[in-house]
Amino acid sequence: MKFSTKLALAGVGIALLATVPWWGSAVLVQFGINALILATLAQSWNIIGGYTGYPSFGNSVFYGLGGYGVAIAMVQYGLPFPIGLAIGISLAVGFAILLGLPVLRLRGHYFAIATLGLAEVMTAIVSNLEIAGRNVGLILPLVKGDALFFELSLILLVVTTLAVMWISRSRFGFGLIAIRENEQAAAVMGVNTTLYKIVAFALCSVFAAVAGGIHAYWITYLDPGSAFDVALNVKMIIMAVFGGPGTIFGPVLGAFVLSAISEILAAKVTSLASIFFGIVIVAAIVFMPRGFADLVRRFRQSGWRYFQENIRTYRV
Amino acid sequence: MQLLWQILVNGVLLGGLYALMALGLVLVWGVLNIVNLAHGALIMLGAYACYYLFTGLGWDPFAALPVAMALLFCLGYLIQRYVLNLVIRGPMFNTLLITFGLEVVITYVAQIAFSADFRTVNPSYAGANFNFFGATVPLARLLAFGVALGLTFGLWLFLEHTRIGRAIRATAQNLIGARLYGVNPRHLYALTFGIGAALAGAAGTLYGVVSQINPYIGSGLTGKSFAIAIIGGLDKSIYVLAGGLFLGIVEAMTALYIGPTYTDVVSFGILVLVLIVRPTGLLGRTA
Repeated sequence: MKFSTKLALAGVGIALLATVPWWGSAVLVQFGINALILATLAQSWNIIGGYTGYPSFGNSVFYGLGGYGVAIAMVQYGLPFPIGLAIGISLAVGFAILLGLPVLRLRGHYFAIATLGLAEVMTAIVSNLEIAGRNVGLILPLVKGDALFFELSLILLVVTTLAVMWISRSRFGFGLIAIRENEQAAAVMGVNTTLYKIVAFALCSVFAAVAGGIHAYWITYLDPGSAFDVALNVKMIIMAVFGGPGTIFGPVLGAFVLSAISEILAAKVTSLASIFFGIVIVAAIVFMPRGFADLVRRFRQSGWRYFQENIRTYRV
Repeated sequence: MQLLWQILVNGVLLGGLYALMALGLVLVWGVLNIVNLAHGALIMLGAYACYYLFTGLGWDPFAALPVAMALLFCLGYLIQRYVLNLVIRGPMFNTLLITFGLEVVITYVAQIAFSADFRTVNPSYAGANFNFFGATVPLARLLAFGVALGLTFGLWLFLEHTRIGRAIRATAQNLIGARLYGVNPRHLYALTFGIGAALAGAAGTLYGVVSQINPYIGSGLTGKSFAIAIIGGLDKSIYVLAGGLFLGIVEAMTALYIGPTYTDVVSFGILVLVLIVRPTGLLGRTA
C-alpha cells in the first residue's frame, strides 16, 4: 500500500469514527472512548518505546498526573477543564524531565526496571497528599455527554498519531531511531542523545497526561489506585507491541483489535480477559516478535512459514 | 535503643527471606540473561502450594517446602524448555515482555483457581516467640530465616562443587565455550530456570508462613527481588544475601520512622539511586 492510500484510508476511518456517537449505542460509545484512550496511550508509548527503544514500564504515571492535574484544578480551585488539562500536562512534563534526567541514562533491562516501580511509588505518595484527596480520591463535577468525550478522545488520538507521523519523517525522529539502533553511533554522528531522549519522554508524557485528564473528567472520579493503574502499563505496551512498535498505525491497530477482543471476553468473566492479554503477549512474542505490521508485510512472501522462521531465528 | 534493637532484629529476619526471594531471580538473570518478571508470580504459586498442603493434608509448612520446590522446579523447567527457549536469542525487550505475559497468565489463573481471598498458613507454633537480648523473636520467622540462609548456602555449594553447577557457571560465562565441552543449552537453560523457580517456591512457602498471601502479591515481590538484586549485584549469592539484609533493615526502619505506606517508595528510591550511581550493585565489581 502506498502512503497516500494509507492516509486516505485513515481519513475515511477517522470520519466514520467521528459519526459513531450519532448512531452508536451508549455501550458502543463508552467502549469507544476507552479504546480511543488506550490507543492514545499505546501511541504515546510508541514514541519512547517504539521509536527511541526505551521500553518504559511506568507511563501510567503520566496518565495519572494528567488526571490529578484536572481533578485538583477543578475540585480544589474551581478552575475550568482546559486550565486543569494545562496543569496536568505541566505536571507530567515536569516529572518526565525530572525523572528522565537520571533514568534515561540507564539502558536495556535497567531502564525497564527503574520505571517498573514508578506507578506504585506514585500511588503511595499521592495517597498521602491532602490536596489530592488522599486514599479516598476526588469527585469531579458531573458533565453529561459521552459524545463530547468521544470526539475529544478521537481528536487526541489523531493529534498523537500526527505527532508520531511527524516523528517518523523528521530529523528529530531519525535521531530517535538512530538512538534505538545504536546509541553510541548516534552520539558520534552528532545526535545530542540526552536531549533527544528527554524530549521524546516529555512528548509522550504530554499525550498520556491529556488522555488521563479526559478520562478523569469523563469518569468524574479519581483515586490513586485507578489513576496510576499498573494494569494500564501492561495494556499500552502490549497493544503497541502487538500492533508493531516503531510503526505509525501499528499501535492504534493493536489497541483497537485487543480492546475489542478483551471487551467481548470481559463480558463473560473479567479475569478471562486478563488471562487472554497474557496469552496474547506470550504468543505474539513467540510467533510475531516484530508485531502485526511486520506480519502483514512479510506474510505475503513467506506464508505460514513466517511463524516458523521467526521461531527458528530466536530459539536456542 | 530497645526499639531500634527490635527493629534491627525484625529487619534481619525479614532480610534473610528477601535474599531467598531474590536468589532465583539473580540466578536466571545471570545465566540466561532473562529478567524474569514472572518471578514474583512463581513465589506466589509456592506460597499456595504450601497453603494447600498445610490445610488439605495437614503437612507442616517446613515439610511442604521440598514438595513446593519440586513442583515449581517442574513448572519452571517446562516454561523454559517449551516457551522461553523459543525466544531467548531475541531482543532483550522481547524476553522481558514474554515473562511479563507469563506473570499475567499465572496471576489470573491463580485468581480463578484459588480465589482472590487472603490466605494465611497458621501452624500451631505461629504465635510462639522467645526473647533474644531484649528483642522478641517469633519462632516461625526465625525458622524461615534459618531455612533461607541454608538454601542460599546450598545454592552456593551446588554451583561451586557439582558438575551441573559448573556447567551452569560455564554457560553464564561463555555459551559457545560451554557447548564445545558438551553442554546441551536447551536442557541446561531449562534446568537453570527450574532451579530459579524452585528457589521461588521455597521463598513462597516461607513467605506464606510469615505473611498473608493472595494471587496479586507477585508483582510487588518481583519489584522487591529486583531491588535486592540491584543493591547486592549479580556476581555472587553472598552479595544477594547482603542485599536482602540491607533492604530488610531499611524497610523495617522506614515503617517505623516514616510510615508503613512508604516502604515501597524508599526501596524503589534506593533501587533507582543504586542503578544510577553503581549499576553493578553496591558490592559488585565495577564494570
